[in-house]
Amino acid sequence: MAKIKWLFVASLLIMLVALPLLGACGEEEAPPPEGPPPPVEYTLYVGGCFALTGAYAEDMAASLAGYEDYIAWVNENKILAPWYPDKTIPDNVTFEVLWRDDELNVEKVLSIYEELKDAGLMVERVSGSPQALALMNLLNEDRIGATSAAAGPYLLSPPKTIFTNYPIYTDDCAAFADWFLENWTEDRAPRFAFLTADNAMGRGVVTDELKAYLTSIGYEIVGEQYVPLVPTAPPTTQLLWLKDNGVDACFGVMINPGSQPTVKEMNNLNMGPDKAYKITFGCATPSHIQVFVPAMGEEGNGFVVAGGYASWDDTGVGMTFANQLLAANRPDKVGAMHIMYVDGIIEAMTQVEALRLAMLEVPVEELTPADVLEYGFYRIKSLDIGGITSTPLTYGPADIEGVDEVRIQQVQDGKIVDLGTYPCHHIYKHQ
Amino acid sequence: MALPSGTFNQSYAQDMAIFRTKTQWILLFAFLAFLFTCPLYSGDRILTILTIIGITVISVHGLNILTGYCNQISIGHAGFMAVGAYTSGMLTAHLGWSFWAALPCAALMAGLVGILFGLPSLKVKGFYLIMATIAAQFIIIWFILQFRNITGGGDGLAVPRPEIGDFVFKSKASYFYLVMIFACLATFAATNIVRTRAGRAFIAIRDNELAAEVMGVNLWAYKLLAFFIGCVFAGVAGALLVHYVAFATVDQFPFMNSVWYLGMLIVGGMGSTAGVIFGVVSLKLLDELVVIVGPMLAVVVSPQAAASLSLIMRGLIIIIFLIFEPRGLAHRWQMVKAYYRLWPFSH
Repeated sequence: MAKIKWLFVASLLIMLVALPLLGACGEEEAPPPEGPPPPVEYTLYVGGCFALTGAYAEDMAASLAGYEDYIAWVNENKILAPWYPDKTIPDNVTFEVLWRDDELNVEKVLSIYEELKDAGLMVERVSGSPQALALMNLLNEDRIGATSAAAGPYLLSPPKTIFTNYPIYTDDCAAFADWFLENWTEDRAPRFAFLTADNAMGRGVVTDELKAYLTSIGYEIVGEQYVPLVPTAPPTTQLLWLKDNGVDACFGVMINPGSQPTVKEMNNLNMGPDKAYKITFGCATPSHIQVFVPAMGEEGNGFVVAGGYASWDDTGVGMTFANQLLAANRPDKVGAMHIMYVDGIIEAMTQVEALRLAMLEVPVEELTPADVLEYGFYRIKSLDIGGITSTPLTYGPADIEGVDEVRIQQVQDGKIVDLGTYPCHHIYKHQ
Repeated sequence: MALPSGTFNQSYAQDMAIFRTKTQWILLFAFLAFLFTCPLYSGDRILTILTIIGITVISVHGLNILTGYCNQISIGHAGFMAVGAYTSGMLTAHLGWSFWAALPCAALMAGLVGILFGLPSLKVKGFYLIMATIAAQFIIIWFILQFRNITGGGDGLAVPRPEIGDFVFKSKASYFYLVMIFACLATFAATNIVRTRAGRAFIAIRDNELAAEVMGVNLWAYKLLAFFIGCVFAGVAGALLVHYVAFATVDQFPFMNSVWYLGMLIVGGMGSTAGVIFGVVSLKLLDELVVIVGPMLAVVVSPQAAASLSLIMRGLIIIIFLIFEPRGLAHRWQMVKAYYRLWPFSH
């Protein structure tokens, strides 16, 4: 009985204390807001896989830096680019870069792909040829659009959902061949050979379709030679083969650690456009001329790069914007940044534009990757990159190659010289 | 086999049993039940990781038979996987064969190529055999790249997904089941192969070649048999991998994978079936962990430096195991079991 009495008294005391408190809480409650509720904040992810370990580590680190700086700028300014004040981003939408290092490892990229998809990434990024080959079917089945730092012809057999911002390597080669033929003065047919990296990227350029094109415009195809992606010794044997077979022009897909030693050895063997043995060597854009020239100087004279970006000192709005971003975010890197920083900006801009276009059709909260592909990537038409790429970018279900022309640049007197643009012939491998 | 305290073998069957007590059977079924119900509560990402782990387990079982049991060190295992992968890929893509018919051919072809590259094993061993198997890796990849008309060369080869009737193994869950069934069969086969006459011959060769020969073990035949069996496992794993991605490319079989497979054996414990599973799971999970931790660390160091963590961690772990626990995680697991085996008796 005594226990019940105490329980009753304790309950009474609790009620006495709690009731005024509850009442006070009620008094302090804010009045219901007038007008529409504040908009819900949404974070949309951009980015994807970056091969930060391996042969492309330098390229990818610069590209990631470009992504991060551009996205920070977009979040601050809420427009797509300084020259696109009308392409606005909703105030309640913020972008965030989501990235993972795939080590150029196919098995790893598969699980990363699933992880990023689960995390809500509605766009993707492919960092190299092995990853592109591994992911292209999955991306197509899942209807996810991806930007790509690889531009092999395999992406177009048939076109799927990986979009490039520089030309397909076979188109680079065709444009190089067009340019070389324009300047060919001898009566005989020029002799052409492939001198390319010994991996999926490098071998991607050696296709029957491209050979047929080169033959059709008057070349005599001699053969092909392969150099390790990162040569551990000068490619003397390969170069002497070119010499022995009287090759006039050779082309390949290499990265700078491949093209620089090749050109050095060419000089040692007295081979080049202005040397005793006349030969012109060209590479597709993974051998960035903006990286090549500072490293090689006049030693690189005569080397040609097809499909590259504008040079750092280009006065167009695109490069000016890139330089401003760099100066604002990484002042110590001004004048020393890898050109793939610009690729990061372009890719991020493409992904943001795809998401922005999709948001015009579908409310942000209902957005799906398929919407971003259909209403975003496929509707990007003439996206001006401020002159960084050879032409504005245009994509569609059958058009994954963003540009329509190939920029040809050559090293002359230790400087980058633009030799003009040549049309993309859309030479793809058909399986 | 060490038995729990108070349990004694009273027949030959009991002596040979892999799972001897009810508790072991219950634990096995609980594990299998957990494994095969994973798709019910796991997302696509976890299923992808588990599928890749399953494929790697099959491959490393083969390497374990070759290296762990027979002491024929191979650093060309990814190359042998490529043989199986491209055999199955070409048969299904070009000739329209069913995956189920192509898979045994892939296994057989990988085994035969294994025998070919195993031929030097009678004359050379140790470091020299390693060099011979490294050559296998590069020669195989070179051949695949040269015969581009049938292999697709550097552009790769589109490969159809496995089918049974109208059912296509397209979803993550369905392929997970397919791989896990093969992984379980591979584990079962690997466990029993080493209990056969051939398995005992492998172990005899590993422990002392001269003594094995004196006992009547045909070194040449058994070494080649080890290469054949090890590469059959690799062939099956390679085929499963390319049909999973629906694409075959030489970049799926890089040289470094061959090195890491050996690293998995070191971490798990050479000459132990359980060690294979421990090694593969631990290094694959470490990989996934680093993938997630990398971007977090990028706040402190550059993304490039953070990303390199993966290689450093893997290398460091292999060194640590080589120094402090050369018998691998499997040996640690045995010690843990031994500690509890005496319970409730203290000694």
